[in-house]
Amino acid sequence: MQTLHVNGYDMAYLDVGQSRCTPPLVCVHGSLNDFRIWGCVLGPLTKQHRLICVSLRHFFPEQWDGKGNTYSIAQHVDDLIAFIEKLDAGPVDLLGHSRGGHVCFRLAQRRPELLRKLILAEPGGELDATLDPDYKGGPSPLLARFTTAADKIAAGDIDGGLEFFVDTLEGPGRWRRLPPLMKQGLIDNAMTLIGQVRDERPGFSKADAESIQMPTLFIGGAKTKGLLPKVLHTLAAHVPHSRVAMIPNTTHPMFEQAPHAFSEIVLEFLAG
Amino acid sequence: MQSINVNDYDMAYLELGHGHPLVCVHGTLGDFRTWYAVLGPLSKKHRVIAVSLRHFFPEHWDGAGDDYRMAQHIADVIAFIEQINPKPVDLLGHSRGGHIAFRVAQQRPDLLRKLVLAEPGGDLDSTLDPAAVRGGPSPRSARVLVSVNKVRSGDIDGALENFVDGIDGEDTWRRLPAAAKQQLRDNITTLVGQVDEARKPYSKPDALAIQTPTLLVGGGDTKGSLSVIWRALAEHIAGCKTAVIPKAKHWMFEQDPEGFSRVVTEFLAE
Repeated sequence: MQTLHVNGYDMAYLDVGQSRCTPPLVCVHGSLNDFRIWGCVLGPLTKQHRLICVSLRHFFPEQWDGKGNTYSIAQHVDDLIAFIEKLDAGPVDLLGHSRGGHVCFRLAQRRPELLRKLILAEPGGELDATLDPDYKGGPSPLLARFTTAADKIAAGDIDGGLEFFVDTLEGPGRWRRLPPLMKQGLIDNAMTLIGQVRDERPGFSKADAESIQMPTLFIGGAKTKGLLPKVLHTLAAHVPHSRVAMIPNTTHPMFEQAPHAFSEIVLEFLAG
Repeated sequence: MQSINVNDYDMAYLELGHGHPLVCVHGTLGDFRTWYAVLGPLSKKHRVIAVSLRHFFPEHWDGAGDDYRMAQHIADVIAFIEQINPKPVDLLGHSRGGHIAFRVAQQRPDLLRKLVLAEPGGDLDSTLDPAAVRGGPSPRSARVLVSVNKVRSGDIDGALENFVDGIDGEDTWRRLPAAAKQQLRDNITTLVGQVDEARKPYSKPDALAIQTPTLLVGGGDTKGSLSVIWRALAEHIAGCKTAVIPKAKHWMFEQDPEGFSRVVTEFLAE
């Protein structure tokens, strides 16, 4: 694959399409995914844009051994900043999904001059006390279970670890029912779960949200449950130049479930 | 994307992993993304090079020109492999891409170390199938023609439904995940090109001519001609091996990525 050398690491990316009059759109995957997750929207989006789909440090195509402390939000933000600088295409448009949305949000906070527009598809993370009156602090109640999953993976039981992880999030029996194609993408990135449980994400604060300067689009799945839609709507209420688009009949992987609708929303925002 | 200029065309490809080069050729309506499900397992021991043939995505082809031909794609793959080092390479083709890989092996055995054909597409002539009809369109090309007429009248999803259900049975298209459907839509103009591709049927002398160590792979639940062709070829390719992926159909490597990768990796390691 093509790579750019950032912070001592060869960061792989897929570079497809040509932009007419807009900057490249850099796409950042979420937990347990990699550059391939954007495969289903490459067609519609590359009709008008150059897409750069990165794989963050330690995700496939790297075959990571799970060792070291270089899997973190801070490292991934540093890497993405260095990547965009090295790309040398001027300010880019940036799209992040889930944990990748968190990485993009932090980059927008730190280095606004690198971005023209920002798209956050159900960004991952938590709200701190300035945004959520019910905030209690402390580690996520699911951390113990995620740690069990990561321990299984570290011990070589990839299938068992992922089953435990996926079923914790989405209910018993879910892993076994996943299409093999989706399972394989998670298997290819299973070792990153070992880094993930050590990943310390500071919660989003009101001041964080208010500091985002560029035009920002939040995209959600209308049927996503739990914390993700709450985070999305709360951030959108405080990011100054923001819009929200919810895609009917979809959940967290909304662009895989409705690639055409997702692409239309993105294209319209980038053109406007 | 990375690309190599072949016969005045920039042929895009995705390359990852380390080891002996394994060039992968997608089938009808596919592109380099066809292999996404097996990139992980295959790239552990191989340098996987997944090409997009002329006019497939990432090109957004308008359907113009007369160079969507089976012979052109074969010539392009040959020119592509000529620029890969080290040679000879391993070559893997699925469906129509299996047909291309077979013809490359026939024309240029010097370029190939090993050959893997996953349900290669095409027709059998009368030397391989006594019931083969001489002249007139085969059932396969008749089906493509129905789809093409739907594309021309603007019914793209209807065209894809007819094509996909023709391969793996009724309701296959409707049950496909939205992501898979979109990737087929991205290549819809190539289906129109396929009407005039001039694909020749396989003959017994063709099969006997293959000198490269060959593995033929099929899905255990595939029905119709795609389940017949590879078995007919296997009877005449000297020393070839075969493998069936249980409970899988034509897109067997998406339905059982680990199982498919295991048989391919084992064969290439022999």
